[in-house]
Amino acid sequence: MASSQHVLLSPAELAYLHASLSLAPPIRPDGRSPTQFRPLVAETGILPGTNGSARICFADGTEAIVGVKAEVERTAQRSGDETVFLEEGGAGGDDDDEEEEAGQGLEKRKGDASWVEMTVEIPGLRDDDSGTAFLAAMLSEALLADGGFTKRLWINRRFHWKLYLDIILISPPLSYPLPLLSLTTHLALLSTRLPRLKSEGDEDPFFDDDWAAAPYLFPRTSSTNIATAKSTTPAAAIRPPITLLVMAVGNNIIFDPSKEELAVADVALAVSVTGSSPSHYAATGTGEEAGRNLRLLSIRTVDPPSRLTPPGLANAANTAYGPSNGTMGTQKMAEARAAETEAAEGVWRPPRGGAKRMVLGALVQKVLERGGVVDEVLDALEGVDSG
Amino acid sequence: MPITILAPRPSRPIRADPEDNVSSASDTDSEAGGVELDGDLPMTTRPSKRARLTTSTASDIVTPGELITDDPQWMRGHGTYVTPATTAIISSVAGTITRTNKLLSVRPLRARYTPEVGDLVVGRIVEVQAKRWRVDVGSTQLASLPLSAINLPGGILRKRTETDELQIRTFFAEGDLLVAEVQQLFADGGAVLHTRSLKYGKLRNGVFVAVSGTGGGGGVVRSRRQVWTMDAANGGGQIDVVLGVNGYVWISKHVETAEADGNSKAAGITNMEENVSTTMYSSQNDRIEVETMREIARLRGVVTALVENGLRVDEDMVMRGYHEAVEMAMVSAGGPDDIYLGGEMGQQLAAALKGT
Repeated sequence: MASSQHVLLSPAELAYLHASLSLAPPIRPDGRSPTQFRPLVAETGILPGTNGSARICFADGTEAIVGVKAEVERTAQRSGDETVFLEEGGAGGDDDDEEEEAGQGLEKRKGDASWVEMTVEIPGLRDDDSGTAFLAAMLSEALLADGGFTKRLWINRRFHWKLYLDIILISPPLSYPLPLLSLTTHLALLSTRLPRLKSEGDEDPFFDDDWAAAPYLFPRTSSTNIATAKSTTPAAAIRPPITLLVMAVGNNIIFDPSKEELAVADVALAVSVTGSSPSHYAATGTGEEAGRNLRLLSIRTVDPPSRLTPPGLANAANTAYGPSNGTMGTQKMAEARAAETEAAEGVWRPPRGGAKRMVLGALVQKVLERGGVVDEVLDALEGVDSG
Repeated sequence: MPITILAPRPSRPIRADPEDNVSSASDTDSEAGGVELDGDLPMTTRPSKRARLTTSTASDIVTPGELITDDPQWMRGHGTYVTPATTAIISSVAGTITRTNKLLSVRPLRARYTPEVGDLVVGRIVEVQAKRWRVDVGSTQLASLPLSAINLPGGILRKRTETDELQIRTFFAEGDLLVAEVQQLFADGGAVLHTRSLKYGKLRNGVFVAVSGTGGGGGVVRSRRQVWTMDAANGGGQIDVVLGVNGYVWISKHVETAEADGNSKAAGITNMEENVSTTMYSSQNDRIEVETMREIARLRGVVTALVENGLRVDEDMVMRGYHEAVEMAMVSAGGPDDIYLGGEMGQQLAAALKGT
């Protein structure tokens, strides 16, 4: 899928960018190191009417807001399931299930992808635009990929939470907004709280109206000690997923590319990962090395706009170059066709052909590196005060 | 450190300069702004004076359609309009009120570039038509560059023929960057450009950065020199900087061309035309050393840091900022090769520039 609207850059600019990004170490136009993200301003809990919300703003002015709203919804009964008498209400229909509920664990919980509804809004684009639809699909795919997330929305066998995620990009998309939207969604989910359930079993759900007692959808492990972390199931320590945009130019792997950088990418990947929080592996004793367990959720190739850019013209083939005039033009035209196939230094040639398997492997390897970039990003996001 | 997350700063109150602010608390004409006129009574004594002009409101910002005053003593300036048959002055832009004697105008918080004849602009071709190019210069409309307003390669002086029209893309194609001058303005604000000078033409060997339009304190300001060549630190060689008045900036490696030799030979106007740089329409970059690329990136960082921190962008500020950045890099952990100027580094740089 095309990563963004067509970028208009001159062949000379593209050649310069490609040359500077192919150096070892690469020189990025904004001076960042290859793994460095753009500095961002983040806050959570900005929307009072939501269960969780976050705002992230880049220095260039791109800004995104995510609001999470939860609603109790009756779970649709499939014909194969045990019959639950919805009409009877209360605990009446649940007598025969009581012994099961006593040992009710995550295994009993079920989730359904339809319990999460995600909308992405990008100014200047229709909401049925392929770009927007693809972004929404990519973000919800990361969330639903392992099926663990929807299990958290389970209330009892008759009811579940329906989660509405509204992702809004406030500014015009100055760069491909995927990392921004993903980071904001992550933060919003981290700050999401659902009212504490007071009812038991398959009763009609009844909630504690004390908001301060409301538990987080993704429990904070920093506040709980190791003992409680042990008692919770491993899945509880999982963090929401993040989707990172990673690109390769030559042998360099570059994180969080800006628009110009993406315009010269050989390969661009959207990699979704999730990490279990530190205390989880501390408790289970798996974490001898620094860093958390990262799990790959999904990979999508993003078609970089570099493939659509016009190739540069070498001086040898340029009719407007040198002290020539119109008569020489046709002769040079013929040369130009021959010259297009050979590379000349300083002339932009759009990448042709697919991504190299080695490069793709290296990209994923770099993302999943223990104690690497993703780890630090997750740590930093967890440090954002949710107020 | 791959990521830095900052806490949101409390929103910066946008205030107009106190001396030319209509809604300043005392609101007498004898304040620093404007010319003192004898016998001009303080406006607070007038019964017809509107309350909002006399009281100091929390924000001095007006929004489009907001009534500024209906007192007939004021004249309307830029950014305002008067509805027919009334005396009410209404803001047409979002911005701060400024007052010059009895002239009320609203300075927009952020505005697009308004071309003026003689401006040096950097533009990007977005459309190629039969006899002209349409150029994005950051204005409300696309500027146009007629085929007759460019130099032909080799400096030939002749009428533009159909052959030239057919080969129009060999001069400039979509996406190409060029530096040009505003030659003429249409009544609707559209500009006509020309590149008929050795200084103008297609850009290569460098990077482009667009800074926001006017308003908000930052941005490129019209100044004596918009184009200069400087010596870069750390063996970076010579670098050209083009600050387009429209806020588009080009930073590139300085290339000695035949043009310099031509100037030394003869200064005659016809000679100059003959010696028009033959490399004018090239889109092939020269060989650029790593050191030069690094310094170009540093300069780009300086320009973005200036804009992000609301400082003006002109030759003086860029040069001072660059030297400051080089010195900051010397003492930083990354050594002189550390060219990152985003986030806190940019704020540090801006603070140093404001301090000196």
